[in-house]
Amino acid sequence: MAFRQGQKVEIYRRSDDESWEDYMDEFIGMHGIITDPDTSKNDPDALIEVSLDEKGTHRLPQDCLRAIEE
Amino acid sequence: MSPHTCSVKSLHEELRENLTSGNPAHPWCRQKVSEIFDLVHDVSQGQAGEKHLDSILYLAEQLSEQGPDSACRELGQYVTVFVNQNHEEFLSHIRTHTCPTGHCPMLTPAPCQMACPAGIDVPSYVTLAGQGKYAEAISVIRSDNPFPWVCGLVCTHPCEFMCVRGRMDTPISIMDLKGFAAEKSMSSRQYLNPEPMPDNGRRVCVVGAGPGGLTAAYYLALEGYRVTIIEALPVPGGMMMVGIPRFRLPREVIDREISMIESLGVELRLNTRFGTDVTLESLKSEGFEAFLLAVGTHGTYKLMVPGEDDFQGVLPAVPFLRRVSLGDHRMPGRRVAVVGGGNVAMDAARTSIRLGCEEVHVLYRRTHDQMPAHHEEVVEAEEEGVQFSYLTLPREITGENGKVTGITCVRTRLSKPDENGKQRPVPVEGSEHVVAVDVVIPAIGQEVISRGLESFDQVNWTRRNTIRVNTVTMQTHQEAVFAVGDAVTGPATVVEAISGGKKAANAIHRYFEGIAQPALPSVPVRRRRLEHFEVPAALKTDLQRPQMSLLNNERRRVTFQQVRLGLDDNQAHNESKRCLRCDICIRCGKCVEICRDKMGIEALCLGYIDFDNPGPTDLRITAERCIACGACATNCPTGAMQMEDHGGYRVLSLCGTVLNRLQLEYCEICGAVLGPARYHDYIMQRVKDISPEMGNRRVCLECARKQSGGYHAEISPPRQ
Repeated sequence: MAFRQGQKVEIYRRSDDESWEDYMDEFIGMHGIITDPDTSKNDPDALIEVSLDEKGTHRLPQDCLRAIEE
Repeated sequence: MSPHTCSVKSLHEELRENLTSGNPAHPWCRQKVSEIFDLVHDVSQGQAGEKHLDSILYLAEQLSEQGPDSACRELGQYVTVFVNQNHEEFLSHIRTHTCPTGHCPMLTPAPCQMACPAGIDVPSYVTLAGQGKYAEAISVIRSDNPFPWVCGLVCTHPCEFMCVRGRMDTPISIMDLKGFAAEKSMSSRQYLNPEPMPDNGRRVCVVGAGPGGLTAAYYLALEGYRVTIIEALPVPGGMMMVGIPRFRLPREVIDREISMIESLGVELRLNTRFGTDVTLESLKSEGFEAFLLAVGTHGTYKLMVPGEDDFQGVLPAVPFLRRVSLGDHRMPGRRVAVVGGGNVAMDAARTSIRLGCEEVHVLYRRTHDQMPAHHEEVVEAEEEGVQFSYLTLPREITGENGKVTGITCVRTRLSKPDENGKQRPVPVEGSEHVVAVDVVIPAIGQEVISRGLESFDQVNWTRRNTIRVNTVTMQTHQEAVFAVGDAVTGPATVVEAISGGKKAANAIHRYFEGIAQPALPSVPVRRRRLEHFEVPAALKTDLQRPQMSLLNNERRRVTFQQVRLGLDDNQAHNESKRCLRCDICIRCGKCVEICRDKMGIEALCLGYIDFDNPGPTDLRITAERCIACGACATNCPTGAMQMEDHGGYRVLSLCGTVLNRLQLEYCEICGAVLGPARYHDYIMQRVKDISPEMGNRRVCLECARKQSGGYHAEISPPRQ
């Protein structure tokens, strides 16, 4: 797990994961906050919950995210 | 028009430009275009009624058919075509007071509402709770979520992470206010269902009585559908009932909210397992025309370490919590090791404490700050006596005589961050040690039990073993079959399941009605536009997030009584006053810019308006610097910033927060309002070289002109 709850992140690219849907392309470049880092398994592959500034809360694959602050 | 531009806003701007540039020139046409502009303006402000659209089209038709020149007729035709092409978006503005693109400032939902997976109108219910209108607050919440009380106790509250007040000091206790309003409302018997539509005779079967399935059932029942829920367990509620322990979520809360759903005519068939007790064919023969799979994730991941299957005393967290929830309160053993760092691990550990276990260890392979469990849960577990071993990785479960005697672990360290910034736990060689326990509770993840669902043969599954759906509509690949909740997302949150249930209900209704399904996720709907509280800036600043009373620790260690005891009336009402009302102030920053850059005053210190780099906020500084010129209020696009004269004072307020209050002065001659002395002095300073000299007298400009008749700046010598 690279992300923790409350961390600010950016969606910096389209994910290669099968769970990525076309409408999510609109999210690329947006900033948000991790609200649920993963399930309970600390699975690096888990979908994690991100609240995006002005775009709502979505469960996204981790490969499209990068932290924008420590 | 770009695909993400609001059509209403776009037409509004085009008409404004036309009128400003003198088009059309013919007076009759200008009148008609002005009328259309006013109507479109109403739509963009959320003030339009159902007849506005017809009126716009009628006026446009008049222009195109009766226009005296070609420019006029073309404009009329353009408006007609444009409105018809974007009919649905205009209707959305009118009916839901929501701008899907967020470009209409008056209709932009607050960040907290946008963050809520269920899209609840947070500012409205927070305000209503603060006004003591609890039933109305619950009505607002239940427009989007039929479990306000449950979510008022156990929601993961992403709304609070996005709360703008959190950039100033601490976020509003949104979840606690929801629980407070729900309890008050239920207690006073004012927690009521809306009136459902008449029975439409169509039957929908929901498989699984968890939050997702029950939510879909609620909204479908309100639309007039006959809904039956098939539930394998002897109790409804799914993970709310058998996953979340009673000390966090009392059973009465779940029962009361489910009974509200049942009272709409929803049938619950308990102890009925799909695939065993009923089949797809048998249900179809009963007349069910659509199915919603909401089976949850009741399977558990294994640790995959030696000894896991060899000894009595290995109790996976999900069945352990289920067993306790269903009434088995026997102590599982004296010493317990819970493996995992999520909320389920915390629940299992805290439950073990309550069952009388002498030692409860949580073994987690990473560091404290990387635990996915919520901070409050970890703190409360520590308070109750749970011992945490971080950077600890299980290697083997050991035992004697068929029973667990210990768990062998190694210490770990976090690796250096890889190219993605990820740090992995790396075992430290030679650090093996044994934690002596007689019970091991793995809590490292859950999965869907798909057994029994084979008859849905066209439903696709993901590589994560979850049901594949279109997440906008929750439709599976099989016609008339939808899916929601953890079965789709993997183990997630109650509010996400509720969100899915609401989306699925809408999609099922569209399916039956033959309405096209949405292509994009819906935008939360603003349910109210409420007046704000008037609060002095000092009070707004000083009010602190309330500390909720907790059950004393001794009792927490021995009973399943609710730990968090709720807010009292005073706490709740004050907390409501802390809300910055971001449904009204959209944090565009125009007020700050104009005060600083145009007026040169810099009286507004609102650092919270920046999401990425919030600066300091000082609401009190405005009273020291502001001259009450009103430039900020005049340029505010939503009316959040207001300046009013009353009671002999000029008052500047931001969403009800009184930033400045200055005594008014009046013209000594005619009695007209001059504004506050600070404002008057500012103006006089600026115009001293060209305005009539009135000494220290306070007179309005008109009286000044009369008094200084004959003086003219261009012909009089400059003053020294």
